[in-house]
Amino acid sequence: MSTKEEKREAILQATYGCLAASGLSATSLDDVAQAAGVSRATLYRYFPGGRDDLVSAVVTWEYRRFFIRLYNAVKECETLEQVIETGLVVAHQAITDHEVLQMILRGEPGVLEPTLVAEAGPTREQIALFLTPYLEREELRDGCDIDHARQFLARMVLSYISAPGQWNFDDPEEVRRLVRSEFLGGILPEPTSLTMRQI
Amino acid sequence: MAESAKILTLPAGELRLQPNGDRPKRILIVDAAVACLAKQGLKKTSVEEIAASAGVSRATLYRIFPGGREAVLTAVVETELARFFSRLAVAMGSAESMEEVLVAGIHHGGTQLLDHPALQTMMVTDPEIIIYVVNFEQLDHTIATAATFAEPFFTRWLEPKASRRAAEFAVRVMVSHLIDRDQTVDLTSEASVRTLVRGFVLPGVEALKDQE
Repeated sequence: MSTKEEKREAILQATYGCLAASGLSATSLDDVAQAAGVSRATLYRYFPGGRDDLVSAVVTWEYRRFFIRLYNAVKECETLEQVIETGLVVAHQAITDHEVLQMILRGEPGVLEPTLVAEAGPTREQIALFLTPYLEREELRDGCDIDHARQFLARMVLSYISAPGQWNFDDPEEVRRLVRSEFLGGILPEPTSLTMRQI
Repeated sequence: MAESAKILTLPAGELRLQPNGDRPKRILIVDAAVACLAKQGLKKTSVEEIAASAGVSRATLYRIFPGGREAVLTAVVETELARFFSRLAVAMGSAESMEEVLVAGIHHGGTQLLDHPALQTMMVTDPEIIIYVVNFEQLDHTIATAATFAEPFFTRWLEPKASRRAAEFAVRVMVSHLIDRDQTVDLTSEASVRTLVRGFVLPGVEALKDQE
């Protein structure tokens, strides 16, 4: 006998499967009910708003899963610099490769947007929390406030993940340059100039 | 600051070089549309209301804007963007150091957008339109546009490539605080923005300067 939470998870998983297989516009509530092995009535009990409610829940669910995968990819990193560099590269690659996400973005971008903006604050807090132990291990610049530093870094991570701009995240050297200046310029004691002298 | 600059930094409502009656009808209609948007958002704003609020007839509105509601709204976006960037240019152009350019750009840009009455209303009534410009591919485009505007203000202190990077960086910092506000930074407070700039933005720019 599955718990409520497990059943909800199973419905979301099934919805995700339908979206991946046939796309957003071709996925109906009946398709989802069939794939999840539940009735339409059950679907409505878990997602009273119907299809829109369900799609929005899948986006949030997949968004969280994405950050869990990201966490797994960077948890072995040792320094603040490494964790940000690896995180940026992995996140960028994951978004580019994410077929369902790309499909939703191309098909009905409006579906995704309110959810992502609503998630921005909580996601930033999560990233900030995650970065805290890495910041605590570093010798920070004089006067650098650790709470402001982690919030700033979390914001920059989200900014560059959502919009790479002119940066090529497939080039590790370029990512290193970005992280050493824009990200860490005010946080670590002059990492760039030291590196430049070494070169 | 020069007298002309002061005029440009006045809020939109005060940008009246002539008495109301003599103002070109086009601007009258655009300003009336902005007021309607501020009052009730996009979906509820009709051509009739814009015309009534501007004190012109429906026929006059269509003579000046044959495209009707869409054409007026396009003119609103163009006019408001021109006002936004010209005020920002005055603020950034009068800066005497890189710190001042960064503070002026992030503080003035952020404050204008946060205090814009029509944008504030639409954030509630038509969030999907506002949110559209800050997501994914559209966010890239928004950042690139703003960075292209901001770039020349850095060339006094930086090489061209570093100017571009600094501009994009500053735009990102501002946009991030616009779409996701927190307790640590208040874009409408110059002192708060200065703390942010001194702590993270200026040192970031100094570091990237050494790379370019």
